[in-house]
Amino acid sequence: MRALVIDDSRAMRRIVGTILKDFGYEVREAGDGRQALDVLQEGFTPDLCCIDWNMPVMDGLQFVMAVRANPAYRQVTLMMVTTESETGQIVKALAAGAHEYLIKPFTADAMRDKLALLGLLPEGVSA
Amino acid sequence: MTTSHAQPITELLDAETVQSIADEVWPSLVGDGEAFVPLPVAPPAEVVSAWVTISGPWNGAVVLTCAPATAEALTESVLMTRPPTVVDAEDVADALGELANVLGGNIKSVLPGPSALGLPRIGTAPPTGRLDDVRRIDGQWRGQSLTISVQGATGAPHTERNEVPQQ
Repeated sequence: MRALVIDDSRAMRRIVGTILKDFGYEVREAGDGRQALDVLQEGFTPDLCCIDWNMPVMDGLQFVMAVRANPAYRQVTLMMVTTESETGQIVKALAAGAHEYLIKPFTADAMRDKLALLGLLPEGVSA
Repeated sequence: MTTSHAQPITELLDAETVQSIADEVWPSLVGDGEAFVPLPVAPPAEVVSAWVTISGPWNGAVVLTCAPATAEALTESVLMTRPPTVVDAEDVADALGELANVLGGNIKSVLPGPSALGLPRIGTAPPTGRLDDVRRIDGQWRGQSLTISVQGATGAPHTERNEVPQQ
């Protein structure tokens, strides 16, 4: 399985990426939504995008809307991974097309639970 | 937009809530078994701060302040670096900024909303506003001084670019 981790913090990209690699994912990274769209357009089609909300250039919500507007990416699962925890923000992200929402800080177990919920836990990883 | 300081942070947020947020953030970001301990130690002579602004019914910033050496050690822990890898200033800005960002985002969630979070910044901490509009916890990490300050803005409400789309 393949994942694209989108966050303007290298530290957070490393944390999320390490967890996903431990689960067996191949991971690519992008520092904002615009870079992430570039990665998709290069032909990297992930099963999962983990998306921060607050980023420069193109934020996470704009990225979700851009991906959902392109039928070529309809198989990509979008999960917000963010500190934005107000109900209104969560509803807005889900309404825009995000499938799941994981609030920072989180543990590897919390990530595993979300992946299991999405049916994206690779074989061999216990739920 | 509501003017700043309609209600001071001391009426909106208690120290226990800030500590409980730090209790979740430290193990998740800094590492298993790591903790921000609310026991003050001698403040360092030189400090560096990372902060995020909160704009909404309450306007201010969540500021994390420590010695440069502590910031480097925190960065090494966040990035899980091992010798001989060394962290540079960009790494420190990124890691300390993300700590402030996650602390700030969680603190924002317990304040009246809707509010917007600014992008992390690092440097000399912004000045504090009214004395009663500061919720400050002096503590330590691995025995080194570390302060979390939730402080009201000075003067006019924030007008900086809002990274969160408006409701």
